[in-house]
Amino acid sequence: MYETRRIDDELWELPVGTVPGMRAPARVFADAELLAAIEQDRSLEQLANVATLPGILDAALAMPDIHQGYGFPVGGVAATDASDGVISPGGVGYDINCGVRLLALPLGYDELLGDRRERLVHEMSRNVPVGTGGRGAREGIRGANLDRVLSLGPRALLEDLGIGSEAELAFTESGGCLEGADPAAVSARARERGAGQIGTLGSGNHFLELQRVEAVYEADAAEAFGLRLGQLTVLIHSGSRGLGHQVCTDFVKRMDARLAHYGIELPDRQLSCAPVESPEGRDYRRAMEAAANFAWASRAAIAHRVRQAIASVLGPGTAERTRQVYDVAHNVAKLERHEGRMVCVHRKGATRAFPPDHPEIPSEYAAVGQPVFVPGSMGTASYVLAGRPGAMARSFGTTCHGAGRRMSRTAVRKAVDGRELRRKLEASGIVVRAPSARGLAEEAPEAYKDVDRVVGIVERAGLAARVVRLRPVGVVKG
Amino acid sequence: MYRWVDHTAEVELEIEAPGEREVFEEAVRALAELLGVGGHGDERRPVAADATDRPALLAAWIEEIAFLAESEGFVATRVIDMDLGAGDLRATVAGVLGEPPPLVKAVTYHRLEFAPRGEGYRARVILDV
Repeated sequence: MYETRRIDDELWELPVGTVPGMRAPARVFADAELLAAIEQDRSLEQLANVATLPGILDAALAMPDIHQGYGFPVGGVAATDASDGVISPGGVGYDINCGVRLLALPLGYDELLGDRRERLVHEMSRNVPVGTGGRGAREGIRGANLDRVLSLGPRALLEDLGIGSEAELAFTESGGCLEGADPAAVSARARERGAGQIGTLGSGNHFLELQRVEAVYEADAAEAFGLRLGQLTVLIHSGSRGLGHQVCTDFVKRMDARLAHYGIELPDRQLSCAPVESPEGRDYRRAMEAAANFAWASRAAIAHRVRQAIASVLGPGTAERTRQVYDVAHNVAKLERHEGRMVCVHRKGATRAFPPDHPEIPSEYAAVGQPVFVPGSMGTASYVLAGRPGAMARSFGTTCHGAGRRMSRTAVRKAVDGRELRRKLEASGIVVRAPSARGLAEEAPEAYKDVDRVVGIVERAGLAARVVRLRPVGVVKG
Repeated sequence: MYRWVDHTAEVELEIEAPGEREVFEEAVRALAELLGVGGHGDERRPVAADATDRPALLAAWIEEIAFLAESEGFVATRVIDMDLGAGDLRATVAGVLGEPPPLVKAVTYHRLEFAPRGEGYRARVILDV
């Protein structure tokens, strides 16, 4: 147990010296109850370890959904000086540009009559391959040119295959393309692992969710995002599949082998890093940005397949009028300008949350701030938030990304019967499609922290504001 | 001897063995169990790995074995021969062909260990699954 110091009602600090080699403090956004839950695993130790990275600025930061990861905790933010600091593949994570895309249907939940809700969830599960093996590994979008996807992201699918639209690109973080991406920096093995997976969901905590807007907190922002009470939405949570995992694997190994050369000592080899402007750092950015583009293209392809399901069940007109609210990454590193200097912001299980009038958000949202999607668990709720100025002042333009796991997969499998969980979810009005009862149990609501509490903290801390709350009515689990 | 230890979003493999080569052999058996494959097969594959030190070499070895399962459906169940150098290894493994679940997404360096302990060696590798 580490000694934490309360800075204010929503911020706690582990001072320099908590672990050897810290160059800055470590700070966690939490309340006392969440902090007690966070202290149950090794995430605070991991956060303190992050504060040993060369060039770290301000503090190693954690959102209230922090939990134990590999080297870096999930829910962590590490900003390093781009001129003399480091970039770390572990600070992005294996699932590069894991993220969330929200689609808004032109229908209210009350208009989903008869068996159409069940049919829609069923069609989504038929159209979008899930899991790590079988269809989920092989049935990606046909005809996609991998080099162009790595270079251009979803624009490659739009130009080559007619998938997506200019509007979807405009309502995607960074337009769905990080321009420094270089396909040549992506290894042959990474390409092999990802080649057939564009438009497949994956496994673990990845999902498609059919939802209804059950509460509106900020009417102006909800209107700007095109969301109203009772409206149907689809939330897509997926990432860069095997390709991203291999890019991370390749560069953790390569940078680990060069640590001594750069005179870097680390408390955990998974924090492996290299100067941002070193050959290793530049190559990693090129490969990581290519993997990020791949992930945006993959979510665009999944959205295309969801639209096909909507067209099949609710008609082509409904599919055409289904609009993308936004697509945002929660595992990525980006060079951004903060307080006049260039900073490499690592967000691992954390979401960019730029405030109103920031130049990098769509003009349609300029008055209300960037949309942020915070999935809860499949039995509770998810939130749409909007970025606030406090995020720029306190967390390098960042907020939380989810509820945060609190139980291991084994522990939750022992505590929850997957078939019983399915019955409970369906009894509460949620249609469930999952490849296995075991996998369903691993994502049970009990496995996660209270998303309402997590969101309440980031709102009180001034990082983001609640816009709407989304209640699941159908789940397709990866 | 090996055992699997569960964590929040990962599994941890702990190995104790009398020699270095046996650590690598135990890792093969552990992976076969994780992928749900028992018994032996006659299919053979060459495996090569290199790294800066023993812990990283073990991670590289497991990555190669896991990649064979994901890419070819080949699950190694035993080591036929192994040439273990300071920073590399060359081996032939035997196993079975099938459709194993591609459970191992990545082999991490988090809390990676491979060191002498008592009369033998102890190793730890954490996998993203």
